[in-house]
Amino acid sequence: MDRYLSNKKAILIFLLPALLAYTVVLISPVLQTMYRSFFEWDGLGTAVFNGLDNYKEMFQDPLLMTSLRNGFIFSVVLVVFQIGLGTILALACADPRVKFRKLLKTAYFVPVILSVTVVCQLWIAMYDPTNGLINKLFQIMGISYQQNWLTSPTVSIVAIAFVNAWQFMGYQFSLLYAGVKSIPEQYYEAATIDGCSKWMAHRKVTLPLMKETFKFCFIIAITSGIGAFVQMLIMTNGGPGTSNYTLTFMIYRYAFLENKYGYASAISVLLVAISLVATMIINKVFDRKDD
Amino acid sequence: MQRVKSFLIQVPLWLYFIISVYPLFWMISYSLKDNNEIFVTNPFGLPTQFRYENYINAWTQFNLPQYFMNSVVVSTVATLFIVILALMFSFAIARLRWRFREAVRLYMLVGMFMPLQVIMIPLAILVKDFHLANTYGALIIPYIVIGLPFSSLIFYGFMRDIPSEIEEAACMDGASVYRLFTKIIVPVVVPAIATVVIFQFLNNWNEFMLANILISDESMKTLPLGLLFFQGQYSTDWGGMGAVMTIASLPMVIIYLFFSEQVERAMTMGSAVKG
Repeated sequence: MDRYLSNKKAILIFLLPALLAYTVVLISPVLQTMYRSFFEWDGLGTAVFNGLDNYKEMFQDPLLMTSLRNGFIFSVVLVVFQIGLGTILALACADPRVKFRKLLKTAYFVPVILSVTVVCQLWIAMYDPTNGLINKLFQIMGISYQQNWLTSPTVSIVAIAFVNAWQFMGYQFSLLYAGVKSIPEQYYEAATIDGCSKWMAHRKVTLPLMKETFKFCFIIAITSGIGAFVQMLIMTNGGPGTSNYTLTFMIYRYAFLENKYGYASAISVLLVAISLVATMIINKVFDRKDD
Repeated sequence: MQRVKSFLIQVPLWLYFIISVYPLFWMISYSLKDNNEIFVTNPFGLPTQFRYENYINAWTQFNLPQYFMNSVVVSTVATLFIVILALMFSFAIARLRWRFREAVRLYMLVGMFMPLQVIMIPLAILVKDFHLANTYGALIIPYIVIGLPFSSLIFYGFMRDIPSEIEEAACMDGASVYRLFTKIIVPVVVPAIATVVIFQFLNNWNEFMLANILISDESMKTLPLGLLFFQGQYSTDWGGMGAVMTIASLPMVIIYLFFSEQVERAMTMGSAVKG
């Protein structure tokens, strides 16, 4: 049996295609980015080693603070909207009295499968200051909070983050809903017998037991906030001015518009580092509550 | 009292139902209107007169069929290769016996946690060096590789659960390892294949960031990329823009409505693996 399953030739045939492709197209680029971050390089000519200069330059780059701030705001919007509201909706939807559950779930999920370009274009139209749906709606309801949603330096980052939050709400919702559903019914019976109200039971039973789900939801929300890019590119091209830059937008601009590949690589390294640290912190926070 | 409570629970659900669906309804309805109706006479409701000509214009005057074609080719080919390569790879690490299989599995896992942005720059250069820029290969190859870690992990999970008696039986019957793979293992993991196909096809169909960097030739653009440039061309014709967007979304929405359970399962399965 062992000889049958340790046929060396067979192992290589099955293993190599995927392993080679993965190494050449994914792992080696990652290593290259790290390596190139220590060089001044325009992507074409010879690279000149410049040590930590790219990193020094990066920390003095005013765009860095803007990007970090926007990444933070983006993450907060995603967490509040998708996880906060999503949890409420998931708990409500799991209630046995709710009818048309399938219809609701389907409706929430449809935006997830749409192309991000379609969603952004749709919201550009919705945010349009004169003809857009949002301002018209406010007008009809007599609210005077009309805005130039995408051209205002203060509101636009939240408006853009909301588009992402809206599109992927259904995804987070279905994770959270699956989490709620995975909790055995007996726990609630026990809680009710102990005199818990429905709401209390959720707080004391459901939420703690959904720790793994929450952990994953936070990781998605926060890392996609830090790495946000496509929405900015499509909706405002990083503007107004540079006010909607994110780390990925910086990489994109320096590498592909200004040919500063070495510098852009350094920013990539920072992005990976921040994403990893954020993931580790989330893991720590959620695992500690075990004791 | 019970009635009131049950009603109160449902209120947020239906409110969010409207928030989730109404923008899409609005898009479809304005795709059938002219500017006057969109802006002035009837911004919110159903179109009074269905202007199908918006759709005809969108389809005939712009490169929509071309974008569609490109997206179909890229997504289908990439998905096909992802499935084949990931099946083979996971067979090697889940069923075959050799020393470093656990190490290789972890090595593949790294790819799942790597933000794609980090490979953007070297990938653009790689594609240029291999003269792949503005070919299908420029997208297909990266999409295959990006899809491998997740798919391999799903297949690995399924293949681990197959009892080892199957191999003993295959060995007794004199089936080669290759026959064992194609005739026994692959058929057993068909449900996993369905999940992976849906998940990867959707991912590839909607991928934007890499396509934006790797493709500049108009005739090679995929749908998400092509749509970006309608914005300028269509800035004065909202109805036409709506029609373009509706046409671009419809195939995915229809697929989803047919396979909603599987799609959601495929999407949420990622969490089981990553978390």
